[in-house]
Amino acid sequence: MRILLENFTKKFGDLTVIDNMNLEVRDGEMLALLGGSGCGKSTTLFAICGIHRIDGGRILFGDRDVTHTTSQERNVGVVFQSFALYPHMTVEQNIGFPLRLRKEPKEQIARKVGEMAEMVHIEELLQRRPGELSGGQQQRVALARALIRRPSVLLLDEPLANLDAALRLEMRSEIRRIQQETGITAILVTHDQVEAMSMADRIAIMDAGKILQIAEPREMYENPVSDYVARFLGSPPISFLEGRIEDSAFVEPSTGTRIPVDPEIAASHAGRAVRLGIRPEHFQPDGEVPIPGRISFIEIQGRETLFDVELPDGTVIRSIQSANEEARVGQEVCWGINAKKIMIFDENGLKI
Amino acid sequence: MGNSKHLGLILLAPAGVFVILFFLAPVVLTAIFGFTNMSTATGISGGAYVVNESTMRALGERFGERELAGRLLRKSYVIDEAGLQAARESGAEQATIEELREKYLGRNFESRRQIERLLKKLDNRPASIRAIKKIAASFERSVVNIRFDSPEELVAAIEGYGIVLSDAQRQALADVSYTGWVFTTQNFKTMMELPDTWRTMANTLFYVFSTLILFNTGFALVLAILTHYMPEGPAGFFRSVWLLPRITPPVLYVLMWKWLAWDNGFLSRMLEPLGIAPRNWLLDTPANAWTFVILINGFVGASMGMLIFSSAIKAIPQPLFHASEVDGASRWQQIRHIILPQLRWPILFITSYQTLSLLTSFEYILLATDGGPGGATEVWALAAYKKALSNYGGALQYGYGAAMSLVLVVIGVVLSLIYLRLFNFKALTESPKIEQ
Ligand SMILES: Nc1ncnc2c1ncn2[C@@H]1O[C@H](COP(=O)(O)OP(=O)(O)OP(=O)(O)O)[C@@H](O)[C@H]1O
Ligand SMILES: [Mg+2]
Repeated sequence: MRILLENFTKKFGDLTVIDNMNLEVRDGEMLALLGGSGCGKSTTLFAICGIHRIDGGRILFGDRDVTHTTSQERNVGVVFQSFALYPHMTVEQNIGFPLRLRKEPKEQIARKVGEMAEMVHIEELLQRRPGELSGGQQQRVALARALIRRPSVLLLDEPLANLDAALRLEMRSEIRRIQQETGITAILVTHDQVEAMSMADRIAIMDAGKILQIAEPREMYENPVSDYVARFLGSPPISFLEGRIEDSAFVEPSTGTRIPVDPEIAASHAGRAVRLGIRPEHFQPDGEVPIPGRISFIEIQGRETLFDVELPDGTVIRSIQSANEEARVGQEVCWGINAKKIMIFDENGLKI
Repeated sequence: MGNSKHLGLILLAPAGVFVILFFLAPVVLTAIFGFTNMSTATGISGGAYVVNESTMRALGERFGERELAGRLLRKSYVIDEAGLQAARESGAEQATIEELREKYLGRNFESRRQIERLLKKLDNRPASIRAIKKIAASFERSVVNIRFDSPEELVAAIEGYGIVLSDAQRQALADVSYTGWVFTTQNFKTMMELPDTWRTMANTLFYVFSTLILFNTGFALVLAILTHYMPEGPAGFFRSVWLLPRITPPVLYVLMWKWLAWDNGFLSRMLEPLGIAPRNWLLDTPANAWTFVILINGFVGASMGMLIFSSAIKAIPQPLFHASEVDGASRWQQIRHIILPQLRWPILFITSYQTLSLLTSFEYILLATDGGPGGATEVWALAAYKKALSNYGGALQYGYGAAMSLVLVVIGVVLSLIYLRLFNFKALTESPKIEQ
């Protein structure tokens, strides 16, 4: 079911946390709400599921205006960051709780719980209590409980934040599999861009209660609207060079390196200060525009190695390479920038 | 290691002394006193063996020795060295004394007249009737009202006057003449026999359980849940208001209730226009008295449960409430499925703690109804207090009071053990909760 937020505003006392947000989640898609801590992701989620009253705007599920309905009436499934399983109930009772509240017959509840348990692979844990489960198992129980009512919407608040690295990887694909199997419209709140990129159909990136950009992961990665978005996506993160546009090229002041730019941009921003964004994969030994520097840091990540190259003025450009065993810290290098892939941002950080 | 162990013991010693002095000793002493017949009459230190009106009445009543009792109460006269000595000091002639010693030493007389007649017939007869009477008085012997330290001394004194006692009589005399307290199980027998006992016990159970269920747990729970769903400000205010009875001095607090209930108090005045005759609502019928007793105690007792339950509800992680809301739970379902299950142990704790405190508390009842009307609201602890420490006649039965208290102590210990088991059971069965 499609979810629409229109001019959604949320205040806590005098503090406006969300100001006039507009957001559409398409039917059946998984949308990631990505942003730093405190930017209002959970607040948005709580408004959608009805835990928070909103101070302005409308919330629509499909064509139905749910702005003034209670959370009991909205039929949303929520997986909370802490899972919020009921400690005094068994796994079976936890999952069946929403149905029990609706006074469905016992056998029917048992059957549905069985089906859900099978889907999230926890059939053998039904008689345990939450305290006796690992983090990943709790996660699955929370997911099953959120889904058992066949909700119109599934909301996930940092569902993986409490899991260790290996489990996170596993649950990432599990959640995605289950969302796709059920075809449910889902919102995934996360501050982890890898999670957002790998799980979501589209990403809405938030900062200070505003949505900066909504796009598919690759599109957002390759075509961010601002340096903020560019910095948020990608691991290792993008590097920036400060400089000016002079004579149809970007000039890096400390080395005098000239990087050719799109003639249109060169024309429109001639003589202006701009910021150049270079992703680590576009700064390589065989790159087309060489720039001299010194290797200041090497991080071996197994299959790949990450290098920090320091320019004379202290600016660092990151490079990620698959195999380069000769390079040493302190070594002077002259690696090249892939000029076709650079991103140029103006003084306000907006992409040109 | 050994050193630190000793140091620990030394540091704990003062605590141990306090525990023994203030916690253990009262219970032990209650138990001991409960098996005595201590009262104002016996005193609380040791007694003596005394022949007097009341002990002799007991001798007659309990052992049928009326005759012996009568004799012991009467005076008798013996001519012995001590008597002769006394006679000399009272001015008798040496010759008279010599004659008495030679002819009559060791003679007994049952009445004064007999010895006076003897004195008149003496060769060395005293000069005047006054002298005769004076000398006769020197030989007067009586055990009445003399305190003997042991039954043997008493018997020796009696036999000294020529009264021969059988073994059974000696035993009986030793029993009845003791004026101090003795160990006995009589208190408990009396307790079982008195119909008042059972009524008081029934009153106590009614009082404890209705106050407990209606207020100390029930109403406390209602308050805690209500305030949970209120905004923080009013909720805090509400809770503070409910604390007021607890922190008001009991005498003032009950006084205000009395003002409310008196025949020219608030209630009577309010109801007068409705055609209801003014009366003392506190004491007019047992039902009304109970209503007030339970209200007075309940309003005081509810605050503790309310605080414990409120903080227990606060300790429930907020996401659980959110989760239950989105799962579709109504307020009532939330209370029933989330709050109450999480409050199981606080409820058990309050129930057990308050049972014990209600069982032993009587100050509010004492101040309000004093057990009235006609003993309708007399509870066990109040009855014990009255028996042992507050009796209009001034005849306080410490022993009986202690025996009654002992019954409470036993009930309390049994309940505590049961409750402790329940709590332990908790520790054994509950695995750590997930971190929220
Ligand atoms: N109940 C509340 N009362 C007052 N302020 C609140 C409340 N809840 C959230 N806020 C504020 O609103 C802002 C957004 O909070 P929110 O929880 O939505 O952040 P978030 O994006 O989920 O962050 P995180 O990633 O840390 O969970 C924060 O500045 C927070 O301090
Ligand atoms: Mg959050």
